[in-house]
Amino acid sequence: MDPIFFHRNPETATGHGHAAVQGHATGHGHAPDDGRLRGLKVAVQPGVAVKGWPTDAGSHALAGYVSLEDATVVQRLRGAGAYLCGSIHAAEFGFGLAGGRTGEAVRQAFADIELVLDSIGESRVAAARAGVCGLKPSYGLVSRFGLIGLIPSMECCAVLSRSLDDIRETLRIITGQDGLDFSLPDEEAPDFSSMAIDPGKITIGVIDEAQDALPATEGEEFRASLEALRRRGFTLQEMSLPDFSLFSLVHRIVGSVEASSAAGRYDSVRYGPRAPGAKNWNEMYLLSRAAAFGPFVKSYLIQGAFFQFERYGAFEDACRIRARLVREMRRLTSQVDFLAFPGIDGGAAGVPSGGMAGVPSGGASGDTAAGVPAKGGPGSPGEAPSAPRYGAQASLRGVYAEFASTLFANVTGQPVLYLPSSPGGGRAGIQLTGPRLADGRLLALGESLLETDRKGD
Amino acid sequence: MEFEAVIGLEIHIELNCATKMFCDCPNRPGDEPNLNTCPTCLWLPGAMPRLSEQALEKAALLCLGLGAELQPRSAFDQKVYYYPDLPKGYQLSQAHLPLSRGGGLDIIDENGAAKRMRIHHIHMEEDVAKLVHEMEGRVPVSLVDFNRAGTPLVEIVTEPDLRTPYEAMEFLKALRTQVRSVGSSECNLENGTMRADANISIRPRGTTQMSTKVEVKNMNSIRHVGDAIAYEISRQTAAVQAGEAVLLHTRLWDPDKKVTLPMRAKFEGPCVPDPCVPVLELSEEWIETMRARLPEMPSVKAGRFSRRYGLTDDEALSLIADPEVARYFEVVAEEGVAPRTVMHWLITQLVPAVKERRQELAGSRVTPARFAALLRMLAKDEINASAAREVLVSMFDSNEAPEAIVGVRGFEQISDLDALDALIDKVIGEQPGAVADFRGGEEKALGFLVGRVMRASGGKANPKVIRGLLADRLGEAKP
Ligand SMILES: [Zn+2]
Repeated sequence: MDPIFFHRNPETATGHGHAAVQGHATGHGHAPDDGRLRGLKVAVQPGVAVKGWPTDAGSHALAGYVSLEDATVVQRLRGAGAYLCGSIHAAEFGFGLAGGRTGEAVRQAFADIELVLDSIGESRVAAARAGVCGLKPSYGLVSRFGLIGLIPSMECCAVLSRSLDDIRETLRIITGQDGLDFSLPDEEAPDFSSMAIDPGKITIGVIDEAQDALPATEGEEFRASLEALRRRGFTLQEMSLPDFSLFSLVHRIVGSVEASSAAGRYDSVRYGPRAPGAKNWNEMYLLSRAAAFGPFVKSYLIQGAFFQFERYGAFEDACRIRARLVREMRRLTSQVDFLAFPGIDGGAAGVPSGGMAGVPSGGASGDTAAGVPAKGGPGSPGEAPSAPRYGAQASLRGVYAEFASTLFANVTGQPVLYLPSSPGGGRAGIQLTGPRLADGRLLALGESLLETDRKGD
Repeated sequence: MEFEAVIGLEIHIELNCATKMFCDCPNRPGDEPNLNTCPTCLWLPGAMPRLSEQALEKAALLCLGLGAELQPRSAFDQKVYYYPDLPKGYQLSQAHLPLSRGGGLDIIDENGAAKRMRIHHIHMEEDVAKLVHEMEGRVPVSLVDFNRAGTPLVEIVTEPDLRTPYEAMEFLKALRTQVRSVGSSECNLENGTMRADANISIRPRGTTQMSTKVEVKNMNSIRHVGDAIAYEISRQTAAVQAGEAVLLHTRLWDPDKKVTLPMRAKFEGPCVPDPCVPVLELSEEWIETMRARLPEMPSVKAGRFSRRYGLTDDEALSLIADPEVARYFEVVAEEGVAPRTVMHWLITQLVPAVKERRQELAGSRVTPARFAALLRMLAKDEINASAAREVLVSMFDSNEAPEAIVGVRGFEQISDLDALDALIDKVIGEQPGAVADFRGGEEKALGFLVGRVMRASGGKANPKVIRGLLADRLGEAKP
């Protein structure tokens, strides 16, 4: 088994480029591209539909499932000349990273960008582990057509890369209205052109309650990062969001209820493995669904079903609190230019949590080519993982603790940029966010910070 | 103690849209099984629902046609339950925020009094797949046909304003007429484009008591709805009089045995907001555009028909029940044929003849122009009624002008007075008894003699003319 890739594109990059240059359709019959992303290597997750590719979303529920059509993001990237190098091992439905290899393709430079479904903060945590940049766009900016996830109102196709420029160019291509996803709001796309950032004119807010929740060492790292921002001339402003601790609860209740509904389609009637030996279809459902999901996802679905069927009032409360949190966050983001949130502890960088821990990274060819130095990461290339393909072990409590400082943005839908720590160590990894559609400005801010990182403080 | 029933209806209506509700598959459930399916209506992973504009428009027109108020904000929910006919574990339905609220229909109850039947709300939802249970050799198998999965429906939920089976049937008839006239559905209980469930409870007459209700399903005609409700009222009344409690449950109408039987309760899951179908925000402007598209409503049309064409209310109502019949009538009547003649011939002759041939009025060879030509000949006494009926039959088989058919087939009436006089002489000579009876004051005898002359003419004589001639002749000779 390939340690990183679940499926590699049988078409080579050169073959693809050759055909495209000649203006001919390639082996798969794709239309000629417009060349804007020519040469960009893209890795996806197996939950992103690529026509003709196995697309099991990391779940036994979809074992052997082959996509019939391209996801909109894939179709647009192809149309711009990008090369899809393959799909990488991911957690079941991409949720929570456990058992997957998310971030490794860009860390080891097998790919220039990785598309990551961000439902609870996966793109940012994976970026922290891999020591690369990650942008989770504003909810509703990128079509969800062809993306297989669990939490439709929170998940968003995020982009990991060693280069903010590649993230920017990718977003230019994949964002915007889509005739196949009517849920995208009818609004103007953000301005992705690069813009100058004058630290003296910029105020960055920091939410007290988000810091309070941090373990001591991470709190210190975050304060040091803020100090670095201040030294570079940014104005910092302390802000308060007393209900910050409710983000986790709201995510857990609303997210699990949506997941329970979203996974209802995996019933083995139309596709997916059907468990043998059932005497009637009720049994067929029970047996097939029992075999379909790994223990972590199963516990999440059962929790969601519990709120749906037994505690509907709590679900309604969670929806109301969610609306309030969105309003509160909108108020805070309107008072400053950006908000800074703690980065994620990258100490365990490269080591996936759960069942595939200890899985070595392979094909280290790109290790040192990374523009941003990778932090940590296991060695001994070439060994095949021994863990089972499906059903990584993880606990709900553990995952929610791990993603405590990222999940707020999935509840509110606001954009977040994760920047890895500066090479000199002056600044730790940090999450930067702003109001809805601030995606372009966040990239500009990120570029300005990376620029000063390079120059040194 | 005397009891009265409290009845509410829940009516599903299949919208006659070109496509399904959330994808571009043809809305033709009757095609070869699973022909009209795609990744969206099979809910393959990664599929996104795309609400059909036509479904929204047809649903909105239906709401407006029933006097309902379209809501500025409505949204789809996921009605969660697990069954093989439901391809994603939930049905998309506007459970919390329906498309419209209010509205209603006027009916005439069995005592001739006008009554307003209120509608509580109307919401959109998608239909589920069809299950087919078969045997493969000795093994029972269940097959799923997804052609129907995702076809667009509206559900109309009435207030519990109905009191009798008659009122329920009248309500459904009025609803059918109204929905057909806005063009949103065929609205047939027989072919499933309309499905009606009834919620029935009983209480001592004159009280406002809320009693436990029983839901009755599976009525495939308006007659069955009446029968099922009548049966259920007497069943519940007998139970209460025997001191038994009425339990909340669902029953199925058995049309052969003419009874309702309890069915196993279907699991009703919770409804959670759907994050994939956008919330519908209808602007005042859009609603007004829809309102402007509403065709003339039946009650307005009925009034106009009775005024303009001098018809009674009943006659007008019989014409407007089917908008196609009403349209046809108007075209022919405007060609200068007496409206009552048009109505009579249309309802008693042409419509049954079209139905017998399994055709549509609109596509039939008997165009309004040809039908008008036929009726004009009749009015001018160029042919008699029985000849006109035969010509009408021929008109289905050829495109020739009715005048030509009459000429070729020799249907012209004998209006030559000498020829008629000869026939009358002959009949008078053959029927001295009848002649004597008439002269003795028995008016009926004249009819008999007219019939004899008609027969002698081979049906080609004009009965009105013969009657006049006979009466004159026999009167002259009266002593
Ligand atoms: Zn379809």
